Amino acid sequence: MTPILADSAAPRSRTQRQSTLKQIMGMPAGAIFLVFMALQIVCIAGALLYPNEFRYLSPQNLTILMKAIPVLGCLALGAGVLMIAGEFDLSIGSVYTFTAVLMASLVGAGISAFVAAPLGILAGVLIGLLNGQITIRFGLPSFIVTLGGLLFWRGAVLLYNGAVQVRFDPEPVFTSLFSGTLFGINAAFIWIVLFVVGFHFLLHRHRFGNHVFATGGNRGAAEAIGINTNRVKLIAFAIAGGMAAVAGILATARVGSVQPGQGAGLELQAIAACVIGGLSLRGGRGSIIGIFLGVLLIHTMTDVLLLLRAPGFYLDMFIATLIVLAAIFNHLIERRGVA
Amino acid sequence: MSNLLELHNISKSFGALTALRNLSFHIGEGEVVGLLGDNGAGKSTTVNLISGIHKPTEGYLSVDGKKTAFTCRSDSADAGIETIYQHTALVDSLSITRNIFMGRELTDRFGFLRQAEMRAIAMDVLQNAVHISGIDSPDTLVGNLSGGQKQAVAIARAVYFKKRVLLLDEPTSALSVRETEALLNQVLKLKAENVSSVLVTHNIYHAYQVCDRFVIMSHGTKVFDVDKADTTINQLTEYVVLT
Repeated sequence: MTPILADSAAPRSRTQRQSTLKQIMGMPAGAIFLVFMALQIVCIAGALLYPNEFRYLSPQNLTILMKAIPVLGCLALGAGVLMIAGEFDLSIGSVYTFTAVLMASLVGAGISAFVAAPLGILAGVLIGLLNGQITIRFGLPSFIVTLGGLLFWRGAVLLYNGAVQVRFDPEPVFTSLFSGTLFGINAAFIWIVLFVVGFHFLLHRHRFGNHVFATGGNRGAAEAIGINTNRVKLIAFAIAGGMAAVAGILATARVGSVQPGQGAGLELQAIAACVIGGLSLRGGRGSIIGIFLGVLLIHTMTDVLLLLRAPGFYLDMFIATLIVLAAIFNHLIERRGVA
Repeated sequence: MSNLLELHNISKSFGALTALRNLSFHIGEGEVVGLLGDNGAGKSTTVNLISGIHKPTEGYLSVDGKKTAFTCRSDSADAGIETIYQHTALVDSLSITRNIFMGRELTDRFGFLRQAEMRAIAMDVLQNAVHISGIDSPDTLVGNLSGGQKQAVAIARAVYFKKRVLLLDEPTSALSVRETEALLNQVLKLKAENVSSVLVTHNIYHAYQVCDRFVIMSHGTKVFDVDKADTTINQLTEYVVLT
């Protein structure tokens, strides 16, 4: 039998010659992993050389990091799955605040936090489904629909509760479960690690994940093979909304109150984490570990700048530079057709 | 050859525009049919009708002699018809294995992928059933393949899922000479295994190499339906160009 295509064997020989470094670079999130590891080595070396000036390894600093990472992590996981499916959700920052206010006010009205928290997540899922329905039914760009959602739910917080903070005073068991410690590790950090593992299996080991990549990567192909891409997108919108609510629960349990303006800008940070983590803005490309590394990188950079006592506005400049560099890098990778 | 797929007096209109008019032809088991015609002849509409994307305005299709109505793409897939489009229906960011099983993944009862099993099958299909050279792993991303290799992966998918009819829409338009040769050989190999093919193409020379019969369309109607033994390449060219 004549073999199909004898004249394009380039990938084989190239692969065989790849060094370990290049192999890591070729893996999903490999490049971001290398950047992250390099930053960690520099930070740890700096902390060991200047333990009094650069307290990166101090227990207090590690605790702050562990407490900060889960909130953005949850938002980014939800936003990331949706981005891989080919859509955006700009409303997650507002949904995060709205669902947290809803949960806190229900607890304030005497309802158990173990009931109020699932109701908050349900509200997030329903808002996600609404975003999805409007996007799909009217064939609109999700960017526009969820930009509307961003403003709507931000306003809804003020309508529902006014511009005042809401106290969150749940049962002690609830507080321990979401902001306590286990073997010295912050509970919220354990939650985010569990979510990362769960999302990894969902996206990379489950049929649904395959359909998410197919929907975002080539919608026409996915539909041609019989995948219901609208359903996949709706579920992804619901996940984004639900995870925004989970982020709200973690943040509220940690602080003990909700500020009406606390979610502003978080949606962009979540999308930034996804882009830094190697997700394509066109959909169909990315990994859960990449998203998590993107979140870790943003928080590590922020932490390092704070430890170096850099003025606040430097933070945004560095994050902005990181996003643009990551986007350029991803674009180059896409043009080369590598994972 | 018994008739596997038949189109009976099919018309298709899009508003005021009539794309197909009273079209009838058949595809036999293990037969390779060339569906020829110039731009605007109605070839693509015919492909979309057979693959379930469009529904006929009038007339009907039958499979194995039984009247049938495809309402969506998966209906035609269930009837054993696989359409391989010019820009193949594959996802560049997924591996060959995942593309072969896309939408028909092997999973456990919780929906988790049986990856090792899928990978082994993909490897076997690629090495034995289709034999695509230049690919050493089913984990290779489809985005890293050439146009011909992508076509071959799409054919591998059809072979594995034991399709009875391949609808190849302009399969050779983006291929090199060697790739075209290999693809046409693949069509003949599948014919030997009783798999029918419909080659929808502009290229009469490619069709002439492998087809048993030719259906020529012009302005939404069939203008010629002839066995290879009863025609010549010059006659086919005249029908395509002059009608």
